[in-house]
Amino acid sequence: MYAHILEERKSSIKSPARDSTPIRCEAASVAGAVSQRACVYCGARVVLNPVADAFHIVHGPIGCASYTWDIRGSLSSGPQLYRNSFSTDLQERDVVFGGAEKLASAIDEVMGVYAPRLIFVYATCIVGVIGDDVEAVCREAERKYGIRAVPVKAPGFSGNKSTGYRLACDALMRLLPPREKRGKREGVNILGDYNLAGEMWIIKSYMREIGIPVVSTFTGDATYERLLKAPSARLNVVQCAGSMLYLAERMEREYGIPWVKASFFGLEDTGTAIRQVADLAGSPAARRKAADFTRRESGRVARLVAPYHRRLAGKKAAIFVGGGFKAISLVRQFREMGMETVLVGTQTGRADEYEVLGKLVSPDTVILDDANPAELEKFMREKGADILVGGVKERPLAYKLGIAFCDHNHERKHALAGYEGVENFTREVNLSVNSPVWRYARG
Amino acid sequence: MSSGMVNLNTNPCKMCMPMGAVSAFYGVARCMSLLHGSQGCSTYIRRHMATHYNEPVDIASSSLTEEGTVFGGEKNLVRGLDNLIKLYRPEVIGIATTCLAETIGEDVPSIVRRYYESRPDCAAKIVAVASAGYSGTQYEGWFRALHALVSQTAVNRVRHDGLNVITGPVSPADTRALKNLLRAAGLSFTLLPDISDNLDGGHAADYERLPAGGTPLERIARMGGARATLELATFPPESHSPGRWLEETHSVPLLRLNMPVGLRDTDAFLKALEDLGGTIPEETLRERGRCLDAMIDAHKYNALGRAAIFGEPDMVYGLARLACENGLVPVVAATGCNCPAFRDALEREIRPAADNALLERASVLNFADFDDIGAAVAANGANLLIGNSDGRRLAQERGIPLIRCAFPVHDHVGGQRIRVLGYSGALRLLDSFANALISRRDASFRAELLARHHKDAGNAAPGPARSNAEKTARHPCFSAKAGRTAARLHLPVAPACNISCNYCARAFDCPNESRPGVTTAILSPEEAFARFARVKAAMPNLTVVGIAGPGDALANFSETAETLRLVREADPEIVFCLSTNGLLLPLYAAQLAGMGVSHVTVTINAVNPAIGARICQHVTYMGVTYEGEAGAAILMANQFAGLRLLTGAGVACKVNIVLIKGVNDAHVEDVARKAASLGASIANVMQMIPVKGSAFEDMPLVSNREHTALRKRCEAHIPQMYHCRQCRADAAGLLDEDRSFSLREIAPRTPAAPERKMGRPVRVAVASRSGVVVDQHFGFAEQFYIYESDGVSTRLVETRRSPGGGGGCGRCGGRRADAVSETGKIAGALETVADCRAVVAMRIGDSPAKQLARKGIAVFSTYESIDKAVRDAAARLA
Repeated sequence: MYAHILEERKSSIKSPARDSTPIRCEAASVAGAVSQRACVYCGARVVLNPVADAFHIVHGPIGCASYTWDIRGSLSSGPQLYRNSFSTDLQERDVVFGGAEKLASAIDEVMGVYAPRLIFVYATCIVGVIGDDVEAVCREAERKYGIRAVPVKAPGFSGNKSTGYRLACDALMRLLPPREKRGKREGVNILGDYNLAGEMWIIKSYMREIGIPVVSTFTGDATYERLLKAPSARLNVVQCAGSMLYLAERMEREYGIPWVKASFFGLEDTGTAIRQVADLAGSPAARRKAADFTRRESGRVARLVAPYHRRLAGKKAAIFVGGGFKAISLVRQFREMGMETVLVGTQTGRADEYEVLGKLVSPDTVILDDANPAELEKFMREKGADILVGGVKERPLAYKLGIAFCDHNHERKHALAGYEGVENFTREVNLSVNSPVWRYARG
Repeated sequence: MSSGMVNLNTNPCKMCMPMGAVSAFYGVARCMSLLHGSQGCSTYIRRHMATHYNEPVDIASSSLTEEGTVFGGEKNLVRGLDNLIKLYRPEVIGIATTCLAETIGEDVPSIVRRYYESRPDCAAKIVAVASAGYSGTQYEGWFRALHALVSQTAVNRVRHDGLNVITGPVSPADTRALKNLLRAAGLSFTLLPDISDNLDGGHAADYERLPAGGTPLERIARMGGARATLELATFPPESHSPGRWLEETHSVPLLRLNMPVGLRDTDAFLKALEDLGGTIPEETLRERGRCLDAMIDAHKYNALGRAAIFGEPDMVYGLARLACENGLVPVVAATGCNCPAFRDALEREIRPAADNALLERASVLNFADFDDIGAAVAANGANLLIGNSDGRRLAQERGIPLIRCAFPVHDHVGGQRIRVLGYSGALRLLDSFANALISRRDASFRAELLARHHKDAGNAAPGPARSNAEKTARHPCFSAKAGRTAARLHLPVAPACNISCNYCARAFDCPNESRPGVTTAILSPEEAFARFARVKAAMPNLTVVGIAGPGDALANFSETAETLRLVREADPEIVFCLSTNGLLLPLYAAQLAGMGVSHVTVTINAVNPAIGARICQHVTYMGVTYEGEAGAAILMANQFAGLRLLTGAGVACKVNIVLIKGVNDAHVEDVARKAASLGASIANVMQMIPVKGSAFEDMPLVSNREHTALRKRCEAHIPQMYHCRQCRADAAGLLDEDRSFSLREIAPRTPAAPERKMGRPVRVAVASRSGVVVDQHFGFAEQFYIYESDGVSTRLVETRRSPGGGGGCGRCGGRRADAVSETGKIAGALETVADCRAVVAMRIGDSPAKQLARKGIAVFSTYESIDKAVRDAAARLA
C-alpha cells in the first residue's frame, strides 16, 4: 500500500525504546497531512465559552459560529446564554466595505435586547485582513454602555489551538480588577476545568469536603461576577495545564497568587490533587480531612471498579487527546486498570510532557504529536489496540478498524473526573471494549 | 422570543460554503478534498460531518500560517497537495477555498497550473472551487463544487445514450435509493454526486481510507455527451448550476425538476424517466399504492399538525409540499440561505393549505436564523418541527417534537440513513409526523379533557390518579393517614434555584430550624444514595424518597435524576416524589414520569402576573433573567403547562400555595381553582414563615383562624392538605418526628495511621512539572515541589520556582532558552533545594549529583508518583 507516514512527519513520531531524541512538537501542522487539530479561534472559544452570562459574538463569516454552537458539554448552574451562537455573519458586501460598523450595530442591538454586562468579541480569520478595528469597536461599546467588551483577536492562521488558549487567558486577565482592589485572601480558584458533565461541581464538592472555599472557577460554571473575585484567592489550582498554566503564571506575577497543578483523572491523581491543595491552602484540619476523605473515597471506588478490572486486564489502549497533561493522566489511569497504553499522542502537547510520557509508557509504545488518521490507523493496527480514547472525530475511524472507543473530549454527558469519573470511565471502557459487537465485526 | 436583531445572527440555520463543497466531493470516486485556509476549517467541518454520517471524514488543509497569509499561500498549498497525494493516492483532488484564501486573493487555478507544470507525473485530477464562507452557505457550496467538477472535467463531447442525474444535498441512503430506481428503470445514467458508499460504508475486514465509491471521474468526463440532464433541485444558483453549464457548453438539454419528495414530485420524476425511455418497475408502482394508503391512514392525524420546516431551500420546499399533500400545514417554512425565489415558491404552496385549514397565519422566512424561526413557531402555534438536529433546543424549549430528516443530525445515530426521497421516503416521513403528533396528544388528552369538562370538583381526579392510588396511600404528604405511619426522606441534592422569591432564604447548617429551603449540607447523588441506604436500614417504614431542594429539584435536574436512578436501582418499591417551582416542568415532565416519579408538588402562589410579581422578584429562564410581571408570567405559563403534562402522564400532583397576608390572601382561592382545573389532586395552603434575611422577613402573618377559613373555601375546588409540617430539604422520618440531624453522616472512623514513628519529618525537593509524577530532569526543573515527610505521611509545603529554570515566560510553558546558561540553571536549582535533605528527580547529571552530595543532600532518581517517591525517600533517610 501507499505511504502511511510522511517524511516530514517522522520526527513527530517515536518509541522510547528506539529513540531518545526529543519529539518534534509545538510546531505548525504539516500542510496536507490531515491534522486533527483545530485553530486559534477554537482554542480561545473553548476556554471562554463556559462563562455563562457572557455574550459571545463571533465576528466573521458564519461558519465558525455555526460549527461551535453549543457543541461542548460545559454546564452552568445559572445563565444559559453561552449556549447560543451569535455571529455578525459577514457577507460579501461586508468583506469589501469592512465589517466594523456591522459589529458596532450588532452590539447596539444586543444592548437593547439582552443588556449583558460582558461581551467577548471573537475576531476570526478575515477580520484582520479586511482591516476591522475590533479593539476600537469594543472600546467604544465599553464607553457607551458601561459594560465590558473584550476583543479576542483569534484568526485561525495565527498559530494553533494553544495560541488561542493564551489569547483567552489574556482576555480573562483584562477582566480582573487591579491588585489593590482585591479583598481578603481566602480559598482557591480552580483553573482549567470547563465543567464538562458537571466536573467543576465535583471538584468543588471535594473542596467543600475538606473545608476549603472555592473563590472563582475558570471557566467552568463561571459568571462575570464570580470571576471578578478571583484575585482574592490564596492559591490557583490548575487542572488543564495546557489551557490555563499561562493564566496561572500571569496571576502569580500580577497578584502574587501561587499555583499548583492538579489532575483529577484517576484514583491516584485525584487523591494527590486533593491532598496537595489541602497542604498548600488548608489548615491542619483540612489536611486531616483530605487524608481521610481521599483514603475513604479511593477505597470505596477501588472496591466498585475491581470487578471491572478483571475484565479489562491485559487490554491495550490507544490515546489521542488534546493536551499532554491529560494524556499523562490517562496513561496512569489505564495502568491502574491493568491496561497497557500502546499508542499515545496529543494535538498540542509540549516537549516536557512528551518527555514524561516517554518515561511512563513501555519502551515500544508509539508516541506521536499532531497525528493524522493514516498514522493512527497504522499504529493502532500494528499495536493491536483494543480501545481508542479520543475526540469524536476519531470515533468513526476506531469503529471502522473494529476498535472500541471512549470519548474523552467535550461532547460527553457523564463526568470522567474525580472519583465518580473513575467509576464512569471504567464502566465506559468496559462496555465498549467488552461489547459483543466485536465478536461479529472482527470475526 | 424574537430579538428582531438584524446585524447579528442568533443561532445559525446554515453552514458555510466549504462544507457543501467537500460534501459534494465525497460523492466522487477516489477523491480527496483539501481546504485552502486555516487548519480549523477542515477540522470543524470534519467533526460536523463525522458525527452526522458516523463515518471517518478525512479532509486535508493547507494549514495557512501568518506567513502564508501575508506572502501568499502557494507554498502551503503545493506542499499540501504533495502530502495528500503521498498519503492517499487520490485520483481526484477537490480544492475548496475558505474565507481566508479568497480574502487574501489566492489565485488557485494558476497555482494548480504551475503545480502540474512542476510535477509532470502528477496523475491526480485537481479541481478548484471558489467557496468563500461569506459568499453563500453549504447549499451553494455543494452546487459550486459540482459546477467546478463538471466544468473542469467534462471535456469528452462524444455523444452517448446516458443521462446525467444531478442532485442537491441528499442523504447517502436516499442517493442509494435513487440509484437503485434509475437502475431498475433500465436507464443508463451518471449520478452526480454519489455519496451512497463513501458516507455510508459498511463494516469490512479491511478499512480503505481513500473513499472508493462515488461517481468515477471518467463518467463525469462523459457528461458533456449525455442525451439529457435531470437536475433534481428547485433553487440551485443559476451561475453555478452544473446542468445549465452542460446545456450552454455542450448543448445537453436540461430538465430541472423538484427534488422527488412526496407524491407529486415523485410522480413527476417518474414521468420524466418514462419520457426518457425508462420503464417504471412494478415494485415502484406498488410502493406508490402503499404510499397513498399511508397518506390516507395518516391524514387525520397529520391534519392536526402545524409544522415548522427549516433547512436548505430544496429540502424545505420538498418537505413542505409533502406536508401539504397530507393536510399538514407548514405554518413556518424557513431557510438560512439567502434564496430569492424561496419565498414566492413556498407561499404559493402553503397559502392554499392554510386556507384549507382556515388558518390565518403562516410565515415563510428567507435568510433566517433560529431566533426568527423560534419567534415564528411561537406566533403561529407550530406543534411539530421538521428539519435537522439544530432544532433540538427549540424543541426542548417549547416542548414540541422534532423530526430529524436532514443534515446535520448530531444527537441521534443514523444520520447517514435518513430517507426522504421517493414514495418510500414519503411514506416513512408521513408515518413519523403522524406518530409524533399522536404521542403528543396521548400524553396530554386525559388531563386536558378532565380539566375542561370534569366540573365535579369534590371528587379526586379519576383515571390517572387511580393508577397511583396505592402509592398515594403510602405517601405521608398526599395521605393524612399515611402521614402518621409512613416515613419519608428528603435528599438535599438540589442547591440551585432559578427563581427568586421574596419569602425565601436558602440556608445550610441549621439543624434546629425546620422549614423548606433548609439543609445542613448539600449532597452529591452518590452521597445522597448512601444516606438513603443508611436511613432505609434505620427506618423500615421508609416509603417515600423526595427531592425538595433546598433549591429547585429541576434546576438541578442531572443531580435529581441521578439520585433517583441510584435509589431506584436499589429499591424498586420506593415512591418518588419531588417539589419544584414548576419553571422547568414543561421540559422535564415526561422524563420525570418516565423515571417513575409518581408524586410532584408544584408551588404556585399566584395565577395573576401582577400578584406573582409581588412574590417573585425574578425568574431565570433559558439563560435570560426576567423581572417583575414578565418573569411571573413565564413562571405561570410553565407551571400550568407542566402541571398539565404531569397529570396527563398520570403523576399525582400537589399544589403548594404560600399564603402571604396582603399579597395573595385574597387570591388563594383562584389559585386553588386553577390547580384543580389542571388536574392537581390536592392543594396545600401554607402559612408563610417570615425568614430572617428574606425580603419578606417583616411581613405580617395571617391568623390561624383566617388560614383555616381560607382552606375551607379552597376545599370547594380541590382537596386540602391539613397535615403539612413544612419540612426541611433534608427531612427524614415521620412528618412529626424529623430525625434528619441524628441520621446525618457520621464520618466513618478512618483507621489511624500505623503508629510507626519515623522520627522528625525531613524536607524533600521534587522535580516535577505535572505535580503528580516525578517527571523533571534536575537541571531543567522549572520548579520544585517541596515536601515534608516522615516516611509515612507526606505534606506539600510549597512549590518553588527555580531561578534558572524556564519559568514559562511569554509562552505557556515555553522555555526561556536564550536566557540562562547550563551552569546558571544548575546553580539556580542547587540554590533552590539548599535547605532540603533529599532531592527526587527523574534524572540528574553527574556533576550536580556530586555537588548535592557534598552538601549532604541525598539524591533519588525515579519516575514514580510524587507521593510514593517522597515517602520512599524519607523512609530511606530515616
